[in-house]
Amino acid sequence: MKAIGARLPRYDGVAHVSGRTQYVDDVRVPGTLWVKALRSPHHSALIRSLDTSKAEGMTGVHAIVTHKDVPHNVYGHLEALGVPADEPLLAQDDVRWKGQVIAAVAATSPEAAQAAVDAIKVSFEERTPVLDIRTAADPGADTFHQWGALYPHFGPYNHRRVRKGDVEAAFEEADHIVEGAYRPQAIEHVPLETQVSLVVPEASGRLTIYSCTQAMYFSMGVVAAHLKWPLNKLKFVGGTVGGGFGGKVDTATETICALLAIKAKRPVKWRFTREEEFLCSSTRAPWHVEIRDAVTDDGWIRGRRMLTLHDAGAYARFSPYGLTKHAFHHTGAYTIPNLRFDGFVVFTNRVPTTAMRGFGVTSVSLATELHLSRVAKVIGMDPFELRLKNANRIGDTTGNRVVMHDPSTVPVTLAAAEAAGIELAADYRAMTSDRRTGDLLPEHLVGQQAPDGEHLATFRGTDANGGAS
Amino acid sequence: MELTVNGVRHDVFSPPLTTLLNVLREELLVTSPKAGCEQGGCGACTVHVDGRPRRACLVPLAAVEGAEITTVEGLSDGDDLSVVQAAFHEHYAAQCGFCTSGFVMAAEALVAGGEAGRDEIIEALSGHVCRCTGYAKIIDAVGAASRGEVSGAEDPAAPDRLSPADEPVKVKGSPA
Repeated sequence: MKAIGARLPRYDGVAHVSGRTQYVDDVRVPGTLWVKALRSPHHSALIRSLDTSKAEGMTGVHAIVTHKDVPHNVYGHLEALGVPADEPLLAQDDVRWKGQVIAAVAATSPEAAQAAVDAIKVSFEERTPVLDIRTAADPGADTFHQWGALYPHFGPYNHRRVRKGDVEAAFEEADHIVEGAYRPQAIEHVPLETQVSLVVPEASGRLTIYSCTQAMYFSMGVVAAHLKWPLNKLKFVGGTVGGGFGGKVDTATETICALLAIKAKRPVKWRFTREEEFLCSSTRAPWHVEIRDAVTDDGWIRGRRMLTLHDAGAYARFSPYGLTKHAFHHTGAYTIPNLRFDGFVVFTNRVPTTAMRGFGVTSVSLATELHLSRVAKVIGMDPFELRLKNANRIGDTTGNRVVMHDPSTVPVTLAAAEAAGIELAADYRAMTSDRRTGDLLPEHLVGQQAPDGEHLATFRGTDANGGAS
Repeated sequence: MELTVNGVRHDVFSPPLTTLLNVLREELLVTSPKAGCEQGGCGACTVHVDGRPRRACLVPLAAVEGAEITTVEGLSDGDDLSVVQAAFHEHYAAQCGFCTSGFVMAAEALVAGGEAGRDEIIEALSGHVCRCTGYAKIIDAVGAASRGEVSGAEDPAAPDRLSPADEPVKVKGSPA
């Protein structure tokens, strides 16, 4: 117990304040080449021709890679979880977002690399871009993805669904039906250190990869898959990340640097410019969330219907995973017994979206908390009291039948009220997370409760689809 | 051309319009100033030019010929930290650390002028971006440094670090 309650110095603190921490961009290897990428100038277009011959002969150019140089070009970030592959490392037949990489050059200086990029000839046939998730799946809408407008691999469905209780009855019996739509926006992570990697081909035949990744072994798997190399030929050096916030989970530069290093037989470094970071690194997704709640006069939320559209951008990447987390949390920190949730991952011609701090959950928290405040306003109830009444308690079950054994909604809400200087009624102030009984266990919440004493085990639901199908 | 960096004189051979940032990082291999945006927006490349904080990414070499340049490496002697560096360390003002060099250099210039109030600190740091800390700890650190409130010694009750020999922390209910 030496650590708890003690102020321990950061193990990397002295190095940070004295400028001795070595980030990827601070590693110096003699003979390192610089990388620049040819990126799509269009949101959506077919590639009719690609000609690198002039660029290859230019001063200082050591290597150029296109899709032809990638042993396994089309890859999926979640293949290990059974999500099929859909994204090429280097664009092949078409480009699906403005900024997608088509080719990359390694040269003796950034200027020489950029000059060669400018000399690569590509002809495009532009398509009408898909940019709005609300209309992307309309009948007759333009599509560009081989799977159509929607990600289709949620088991037997093209959407993530949660079903629990009798939502029809809950809405029939409701005193109020409260509706709202919420649109959390895309956010760029803006780490101070932009995406960067340095790949050094070793005499042993291995590659040493200096990476800013947040997910070392994940990135290693991605590089190995594209190269069709065994993992033991890749040595990753990492752990020093100049800010990530989720944006350095995707493998942005390492694989292309590896291909160029192999081809050029030289160390290769690629650091995104700030402009590239803003325009071409993945962002938090924009979402569209519609909530409809069945509410009683005395402040019980008895049912919820919810529709979520998640903007994946041009490829799936981690979006199905983010939407699944979103679905699991779609009642927020509250117990609602009758549920119907449908969530769709929608493809648009935008930069593929990714994790950011609470992946999938921040969007649902924003939407559900705003909605709860709206419900409180409609029925004329104090918003803290509405939350406390419906708060998760020991033995309550979530939409996907996870049993609460240590929920914190009640103490957190009470602390927030106190911090905000809000006077709650005595019976609300006295609330705890204890199992529902008496007035807090109305008839409609009885059925969702796990049997007493079983809250430490997973409660098996009755729906064969398990809610999380 | 000639530059003095952290007290050492150098002949430099980069073209005259090369940014001071690239001269430091690529020619002289002084890597504490960071290329965060290379357009003057983030402050991560801040160094002192003749004692004043400047953005190295916006300054061409020709404009600082013969100047005295100080970077964060030049403030400390090994682990013997400056007051500002020690304050950043003690107040956990450096998280990922990438912006830290720039913040420390801006703070050094401010603190050299004596005790600084919160508004002055915020003004002095306003051109610097940090994405990890939310700034509160940085402002606390600079305030403490300006008042000279830096212990230089860790809390004697706390170990320097947790060595593997220390007993593992056991949490009830955690897997064995």
